[in-house]
Amino acid sequence: MSDDSASSSRSQSPSNPFSSRNVRPGAIPFLFAADESLAQLAGRLQTARWWGEIVGPHGSGKSALLASLTPQLAAAGRRSLHISLHDGQRNLRAFADDLSTIDRQSVVIVDGYEQLSWLSRWRLKRLCRQKDCGLLVTSHTPVGLPRLYTMQPTLETAVRIVAGLVDLQRGPIQRADVERLLALRAGNLREVLFDLYDLYEERRAPRA
Amino acid sequence: MTAPVLNLQLHEGRKSYQAGETLSGEYRVASCDLGDLRAIEISVLWYTEGKGDEDLAVHYFERLSLDDSQVLDLERPRRFSTVLPNSPLSYEGVIVKICWCVRARLFLARGREVVEERLFQLGDVPAARAVLP
Repeated sequence: MSDDSASSSRSQSPSNPFSSRNVRPGAIPFLFAADESLAQLAGRLQTARWWGEIVGPHGSGKSALLASLTPQLAAAGRRSLHISLHDGQRNLRAFADDLSTIDRQSVVIVDGYEQLSWLSRWRLKRLCRQKDCGLLVTSHTPVGLPRLYTMQPTLETAVRIVAGLVDLQRGPIQRADVERLLALRAGNLREVLFDLYDLYEERRAPRA
Repeated sequence: MTAPVLNLQLHEGRKSYQAGETLSGEYRVASCDLGDLRAIEISVLWYTEGKGDEDLAVHYFERLSLDDSQVLDLERPRRFSTVLPNSPLSYEGVIVKICWCVRARLFLARGREVVEERLFQLGDVPAARAVLP
């Protein structure tokens, strides 16, 4: 997806292209295979009455895909309630106030759904059915919702992402680095980008 | 349709300052339909960059809303200035960096936005280098 709502320019920066601000979910457009698009995905989600699951391993781009999808939901008139779970959060008590505001225009988005207990998942699904709203989740394994997308990070995807951040022909980072790190990190793109931050710092030319 | 152009300059093209010095500059907007314009913001701020969570603080901020712009000649340069604080000083570390910048944002109809930034150095803390094993 290309975001044409904002244009920007920045003067010469000491920035590391792999710093959080440049690689966090939403900063890099989600890269689909040639025969897929964000609009198709949003259409499939709508067909499934805004219920769906995005499945993939750690660091495979699930959160990045969610960030890219969120504007599509807004464009379709849906209000997103984004819940990001960390550190084994087993329930949604911390989000009770937010969940009390959902209605049939809402889509509850849960990033890290597999961390919820069986009971919390059941309660959330029941609530979403009662409110006739959407439920979109990411998970490491299938959780029984309509499958929206299965993450399959490849070397080519990783190279395309990195090439969007640095010049792989002339910069301090080369394609072979991406290939080596992706194998080392067993396909975890997020860890690869963290590693590339360090590698860039090691290799960048000293500042004058 | 021509895209609006936001021109942002620091006076004398300066790129480094010392704490307590006055930073000044100007900005102007060209090729912008007033009917499209919602607001202009100018800010002087610092932010951290690195592998982890990032921090940000705004030192100077000015906003011109639509009501103001109706009586403004946007192509006329508008000046800003602020006295820079004693800290934090710019720092180019390996794990974290502290960056200062002047940021101008043009808010347009239908959620469009144009952003211009000018980075500058505050103080002269030497850059760190990665230590290789």
